[in-house]
Amino acid sequence: MPSSIAIGSGRAWRERLSSAGIDALYLHVPFCARKCAYCDFASWATTRGDVLPRRYAEALERQVEQVSHLGLLDGCETAYVGGGTPTLLGEALGGLVRCVMECAPGIRELTCEANPDSLSDNVLREVAAAGCTRLSIGVQSLCDSELGELDRLHDAERARERVAAAVGGGLDVSCDLMCAIPLQTSDSWQATLEGVASLGVGHVSVYPLQIEDGTALAQKVGDEQPSWNSSDTQAARMEQAQSVLEDCGYRRYEVASYARLPEKECSHNKMYWTGRPYLGLGTGAASMLTAEGYKRLLEACPQLGPLPEGMTRARLRVVSGRDQIAANGRLSSLTFEEEFLTERQAAAEDLMLGARLACGLDAGLVAYTHDLLGESVDKTLNRLVREGFLSDALTPTQRGWLLGNELYGELWDLAGDTETLTRRSA
Amino acid sequence: MIRIDAGKTHGPCAMMSRMKTTDTSHIRNFSIVAHIDHGKSTISDRILELTHTVDERDMADQLLDTMDIERERGITIKSNAVRVVYDADDGESYQFNLIDTPGHVDFTYEVSRSLAACEGAVLVVDATQGVEAQTVSNATLAMNANLDIVPAINKIDLPSAHPEEVKKEIEEDLAIPADDAVLVSGKTGEGIHDLLEAIVYLVSPPKGDAKAPLKALILDSYFDEYRGVVATVRVFDGSIKKGDHLRMMALGDTFLCDGVGCKRPLETPLDELGVGEVGYVVTGLKDPALVKTGDTITYEERPCAEACPGYHEAKPMVFTGLFPIDNKQYENLRDALEKLKVNDPSLIWTPETSVALGFGFRVGFLGLLHMEVVKERLEREFGLDLIATSPSVDYHVYKTDGEMVDITSPQDLPDVTRIDHIEEPYLKAKVIVPPDFMGAVMQLVVDHRGETSDMVFLSEKSVEIHFDIPLAELILDFFDQLKSRTKGYASLDYEIGDYRTSDLVKLDILLAGEEVDALSFIVPRDRAYDMARSLCDKLKEIIPRQQFEVPIQGAIGNKIIARSTVKAVRKDVLAKCYGGDISRKRKLLEKQKEGKKRMKSIGSVEVPQEAFLAVLKVDDE
Repeated sequence: MPSSIAIGSGRAWRERLSSAGIDALYLHVPFCARKCAYCDFASWATTRGDVLPRRYAEALERQVEQVSHLGLLDGCETAYVGGGTPTLLGEALGGLVRCVMECAPGIRELTCEANPDSLSDNVLREVAAAGCTRLSIGVQSLCDSELGELDRLHDAERARERVAAAVGGGLDVSCDLMCAIPLQTSDSWQATLEGVASLGVGHVSVYPLQIEDGTALAQKVGDEQPSWNSSDTQAARMEQAQSVLEDCGYRRYEVASYARLPEKECSHNKMYWTGRPYLGLGTGAASMLTAEGYKRLLEACPQLGPLPEGMTRARLRVVSGRDQIAANGRLSSLTFEEEFLTERQAAAEDLMLGARLACGLDAGLVAYTHDLLGESVDKTLNRLVREGFLSDALTPTQRGWLLGNELYGELWDLAGDTETLTRRSA
Repeated sequence: MIRIDAGKTHGPCAMMSRMKTTDTSHIRNFSIVAHIDHGKSTISDRILELTHTVDERDMADQLLDTMDIERERGITIKSNAVRVVYDADDGESYQFNLIDTPGHVDFTYEVSRSLAACEGAVLVVDATQGVEAQTVSNATLAMNANLDIVPAINKIDLPSAHPEEVKKEIEEDLAIPADDAVLVSGKTGEGIHDLLEAIVYLVSPPKGDAKAPLKALILDSYFDEYRGVVATVRVFDGSIKKGDHLRMMALGDTFLCDGVGCKRPLETPLDELGVGEVGYVVTGLKDPALVKTGDTITYEERPCAEACPGYHEAKPMVFTGLFPIDNKQYENLRDALEKLKVNDPSLIWTPETSVALGFGFRVGFLGLLHMEVVKERLEREFGLDLIATSPSVDYHVYKTDGEMVDITSPQDLPDVTRIDHIEEPYLKAKVIVPPDFMGAVMQLVVDHRGETSDMVFLSEKSVEIHFDIPLAELILDFFDQLKSRTKGYASLDYEIGDYRTSDLVKLDILLAGEEVDALSFIVPRDRAYDMARSLCDKLKEIIPRQQFEVPIQGAIGNKIIARSTVKAVRKDVLAKCYGGDISRKRKLLEKQKEGKKRMKSIGSVEVPQEAFLAVLKVDDE
């Protein structure tokens, strides 16, 4: 029961707050061959032969070098090149990966996102040679009609073949799958899940399709939520995914993530859920920094302005466009959206994020938040256990996973004041 | 922003001198009356323009309708008196006081108040539509008030205008000579000058004794935080200036006049309000309840012999519960209602307690539109989040012990064993409609428990259907259905009729097994099953899926007669990672929470506001 909290064991968690470096680096590549119907990410189509992607990649390299000179990357353990479609950079992706590995030699996991369409043998060889350890491939479905509805550029055969090539190349491979999509049936979903499992990938991510405002898909479906995307369908697909993948030997370690072995889990993504600081570079990329880390970044980014008093954590998002970044890649020329959290808010946020993990809320974190926020932590946790969102061991139940927003919202409310301080850099 | 033109035609000094009291022979006080949408407000706007009261480029459409809600809905709710100066063709300058009147069937009460302050009325009739129900009712009100009528036929710029036929209708249907009716276009401004000339010659100047003790009628009032209640008045005898010691004749309170002025259309202070004039009086009174529309203001020391004949008070016909979603807003709601009452004396309320909704008020309204407008104003102007419950009428419940009780809230209905019988209010209603829709209207009347009593062919193109109908039917959806089934051609007018015995029962709604008193309503027994079924279905659509399955049941007494179920929500999680953009995830959570705040927790069920008015929507599909 949560009432058996060991008071005082929160010291380790508190010490994280004073770390000055970052544990993870994220680089965003906002280019794709074609915008998918459902996508509202910071990514836009580009044409073959466009010089912009290369210039943009070079600008990111300069930024990575700059932050490494600040000493920010000294303790960095993971990196993730996401998109968009990083593989669209071709050889330039190899250059970017190489730069990251040189600037942050402590990195043990470097993931590149890839699309079956643009993951050529050349690119595969190039990134592996440069130091990439892991590929996250946007398979989405192994059913051609479903892929067509999503405006994906690949078919199932291409996906199978490319995934097999990546696995054969010795890289850790993860497949992104999407459920509650048009034309999908329980049978087709089963086939997709079993299909990727049979390819021998170590990791699978499963996301229900979210119909986001302003996307082509939202326009197409109109106001009514279609039955293929209803919350019942989403729930059924998520449950099915868990059952099929577990039968295939995977374990669900996070609300959307499955791994065959603990070492195949995505270390980078786990940083997000465990309160570890990370830096994101590139259009739309998000960072989380401690007060000390923020001050260090400030040396290269005077436009950020001093850390507001009483703030423990900074969350930044790069709002500079890709043209702007390609034209002037200096850190000091970037524009950021900034959000600052008090220690109470940061603590509540860590609880909220921790609830996404199968291992549940870390005992040290619970003790630390208990010290900081008092009895309300016990009350909330007891209620969440009583209402069936969390187990006695403070791990998410099936209900806690399916109704995560309720669970996360309750934990975030422990901040008391949930209004955060925001501003935009100069 | 509205700006008073002080530059071009009249210099500032000239304007101020014009604003001194005017000899009564040079004053014209009039209203503009019309059927809804016949263009009253646009004509008012053109008059303000032509008399240079407002600059053309500062002209917001429909200036006299000042409330946002009025603008948005294109209807006039509040009365408003604006003074303009008209330089007539005879070389003289005239002071016109233009008293705008509301144009919806709910607001006939306000129309009668405004008319009492006038000597004349411009009767606007749409050149394409001709005489309609409210043209008749408003013209009748104006004639009963002995006003000089100036008929004006509007929208003559439209290709489908047929002014000659409309003239004939005015003469035949209203018995008003219309040979010299002024042809105007509020849109282009054509004929407005002729209209102003007609007002000078056809509307009588006010009569009154400047030397007599003050006699001024309050026709409206509004609350100003700094100056207290400001009353809009018409001076019948005597005059008012700042510093006068004054008395409210009916309520008896005295006050020191803190200033007078008129609206052009912004407030313009004056030295004095003279006999025959319309303007405002700053009372300095801080309690809105002390300034009652219809009361007469006179001198404290030298009162006039007789007060102005009282207005007939509007009787509220529709009652609904208004509850703050957050119970902490109860006192704020009371204060807000008090403040609205200053400008809306027809508003009445008593405290009401609901098991489901906590503390609130049972509020009486003139009609459904009035209810919507008040609720919207309370929410917008006072920042309240409110739940309105199903509207009810005033039932006369005769108990077995012979006692009669007025019941305006279903939850107050005595136990069924103690009821002998129930009477409900009926209306005498009439609909004017083209003969093609006669069958549709008569069917609608029957469907709503009405009885047709008479039918009169007014012309080849319009028939007037008279019928008696329970008020309870009219306030639900009769009007909307009438509009849709007659493609908008029908116009409806009604007056209060008698009380009649009906076989009525209380239909209760249970959510998750718990009776929700605020959802109960009174229905005819033979329609209880159908109503219960459609209401349960409607509530199922309105109530969002919750973490638990929510059964919805309709019951009479202990007997369940209908049910539906809101299934439990099975999935509500943002699984996507968004590259570690946690701020975005939190924002989505906050947005979800905001939505929940606008709902009311009843037991463990989150119920959105509109669920409590679901009964109004059961026939939507």
